[in-house]
Amino acid sequence: MNMFEIGRICLKTAGREAGKYCVIVKSMNDKFVLITGPKAATKVKRRRCNKEHLEPLVEKINIHSDASDTEILKVFEHEKIYDKLSIEKPDTVAIKAMKEEKAKKKSLVQTRKPRLRGGKSAAAKPQERKHKEPEKPKEKAPEKKAEKKVAKKHKPEKAKKATKPKHKKESKPAKKKAKVKKK
Amino acid sequence: MPRPALRTRSLRRILKKIPGGAYIIHYSKRKPSVAKCARCKKPLKGVARERPSKLRKIAATIKKPSRPYGGNLCSKCAKEVLKETKLKR
Ligand SMILES: [Zn+2]
Repeated sequence: MNMFEIGRICLKTAGREAGKYCVIVKSMNDKFVLITGPKAATKVKRRRCNKEHLEPLVEKINIHSDASDTEILKVFEHEKIYDKLSIEKPDTVAIKAMKEEKAKKKSLVQTRKPRLRGGKSAAAKPQERKHKEPEKPKEKAPEKKAEKKVAKKHKPEKAKKATKPKHKKESKPAKKKAKVKKK
Repeated sequence: MPRPALRTRSLRRILKKIPGGAYIIHYSKRKPSVAKCARCKKPLKGVARERPSKLRKIAATIKKPSRPYGGNLCSKCAKEVLKETKLKR
């Protein structure tokens, strides 16, 4: 019999959450399942867990695969799990904190994407840098060009003007000729 | 010849090299014995073995496992004890 079904309530027997109850939400593979306390109720984080670190109990609740923590809390109250496991009901404060944490994680996931490309720097920093980078060249570039132009006008005016258009003229017709040949 | 209080063999001797190249002896008290499981008497892993004065400087997470019964029972015994106490309701 496979006891590790979705909705089975288990006792964690390893790690810092040992001795606390959790619910199986989803099966990851042969060895691992996704569990959750929920954190507001039993202080067990929503995380991946090895089956060897769980002790399945008789209690089972009716939830669908990958159910959210708020849904599970409602089912807990409906099926009177708090009395069966002799756990205290979570306060509204704890539930609020849980929801805030979830929102924080979502925002973290969004900011993490540039972090993977950038490397070790903190999540928020690369974004700021990326915004700054395109701005700086716009501001500085016209100034530099102006300076260069002034410098050119003063010293090798004729030589550069003479050379530049030549290249263009030479290159363009060459390409055209090549195209004609291909045709 | 060291002073009489340091002539005891209950003190640990540590050789220190000084800038001149010579060695001098430092004396320090010995470390406490290894922590053992209260149930199966096997030596515990992940428990810091230092004098109290040094333990004060170490972080709490390094001193002992953060699991319940950490630093008192080994992981196997803790698992069994948890099952016994929690599932015999
Ligand atoms: Zn033991």
